[in-house]
Amino acid sequence: MSSLSLFDRLGEKLVRNLAEFSSRRSVLGTVGAAMAAPAFPVLPVARAAEANAAPVPSTQTLTDFERKAQSTDPTKCDYWRHCAIDGLLCGCCGGGIHTCPPGAEPSPVSWIGTCRNPDDGRSYVIAYRDCCGRTTCQTSADCHCNTSDHEMPIYRPQASNDIIWCFGTQTAVYHCSTAAIIGQAG
Amino acid sequence: MLVFRRSRRAVGFVMRAARCAVLPALTCVSVAHAGPASASDPILQTEENDIATLPAIGPHVVFIEDPVYRHAKDGRVLIVDADQGRLLGMVQAAYNANFVAERATGAIHVAETTWAHGNRGKRYDLLAGYDPKALTVTTDIELPGRALVTPKKPNMALSANDSRIYIGDMSPTNGVHVLEAKTGKLLGTIDTPGCALVYPWGGTGFSSVCADGSLVNVDSADVAKPAVTHTPSFFAPDRDPVFEHSPEVAADGHVPFISFSGLVYDAALGGTPTIAAPWSIEQAAGMKPASDSRAPFEVTWRPGGWQLAALHRADNTLYVLMHKGTFWTHKDSGTEIWVFDLHAHKLLRRLHLARPSAMVGVTQDSKPLLFTTDDDGDLFIADAQTGQVKRTMKHLGDSLVFTVAGGE
Repeated sequence: MSSLSLFDRLGEKLVRNLAEFSSRRSVLGTVGAAMAAPAFPVLPVARAAEANAAPVPSTQTLTDFERKAQSTDPTKCDYWRHCAIDGLLCGCCGGGIHTCPPGAEPSPVSWIGTCRNPDDGRSYVIAYRDCCGRTTCQTSADCHCNTSDHEMPIYRPQASNDIIWCFGTQTAVYHCSTAAIIGQAG
Repeated sequence: MLVFRRSRRAVGFVMRAARCAVLPALTCVSVAHAGPASASDPILQTEENDIATLPAIGPHVVFIEDPVYRHAKDGRVLIVDADQGRLLGMVQAAYNANFVAERATGAIHVAETTWAHGNRGKRYDLLAGYDPKALTVTTDIELPGRALVTPKKPNMALSANDSRIYIGDMSPTNGVHVLEAKTGKLLGTIDTPGCALVYPWGGTGFSSVCADGSLVNVDSADVAKPAVTHTPSFFAPDRDPVFEHSPEVAADGHVPFISFSGLVYDAALGGTPTIAAPWSIEQAAGMKPASDSRAPFEVTWRPGGWQLAALHRADNTLYVLMHKGTFWTHKDSGTEIWVFDLHAHKLLRRLHLARPSAMVGVTQDSKPLLFTTDDDGDLFIADAQTGQVKRTMKHLGDSLVFTVAGGE
């Protein structure tokens, strides 16, 4: 021990104190919350940004949703970006495709989907950020969507649209969902 | 109270008189015929208000989760007598709640979430226990957290002997809270990193499904020092994930995990689970197996829905909601229910549904009833053998998402 530097001894004491007074769960929670703090999910953006001019998929291999998707009305469930959404469209509730209604707070984290734009035939990574802090938006049934292209169970949370994604917001009450483009899919 | 009744009667008389003044003669004639009571008319007896109690929870009493999605803080668990098609009562189940029902008594426990000021203020994650007859609150404790997820049955579970409650958490790390059912006492929280859902086995065990297609198996006899094992991956989540609502018999830890394409992995859970080689429900029905995500565009019969399958333990029969579609239609409502012999991997019958359903439930007795719903929140109660609807409860709720039958 005597051979350790002051820096090493301080470091060891800090880690031991951390281990003594913090459960693994709380450490993971704190680290996880800190990782969720950036305004945008990092990994999907990074992956999407790396993909340059991905090939246009053949129209013969479209999913049911993609075959029927439209690109003119973002307040409908069949709007192309809504391929894996679950919830109320914020555009029907005073917000927009990437805008929370007044008074609601966007979640800093989200689940993601990969949706095909029928106009250019390319696929894009969509971040479905929930808007939080108001009760569930009450609006037309046309705006209540539950689509599931590439959607996964909650043991793959990053692709699950059943999780209330209001993590890191003032309250976890769900209001509505947005669908922002965060990059082109590889 | 009597004075009050006389007052109301007097008001009624004045109202009738006023109507006669302004309404056509016919109305007044009919009112006049009603006339004053004659001396020979029997006098209605006075009544006292009282409170109903639930009957013993038999196999045909069913608990149904209705999250009331558009008013999520107003969610509830409905209690229905399926033999009569009658609502017996309900309890609060706020904001994507989950519940379990004790098999021996029918006592229900609800894990729910509220906020002090409605949609803001301190968040309360709660576990409320209810008396099985009076439906009064017997335990009401604060949880350290719980997963806020659109309600899925296996986000909460009850041990086979009704002694322990398991509640999944995800805030934000994954874990399972272990509580004593009788008192609501929190025994501890067990981390399950990378894994979610709770499928109980034995008195103190549970398994969760992990992101790599494996299971983590936890014996929580000593909650502070749980015995944890992992299975190898038995399915490929990217190609063909298993449904969360794969049904389970807690008593023996039997879970037929059903994949999106329709493969069934029969699992006997425990500290070292055994997982049989998968079989295809389409193949068991005389068709070729449905494609997985590597060929997602094939339109064929596939399983899908929310509570998409139910298991009748004694008969070892599996009821699966089926629809025609491409691979990523795993949440589409079923237009048929296919019934399989789980031992023989054989299709027994196909039941056509008049209304597509995202939920199927079955009672566990020798004359089982089958439950389905539709987009209007109707409950259809059918003979599980023939599929014939015996009773319909119109708009029982907003969204009926899963069922727990008495003793299930």
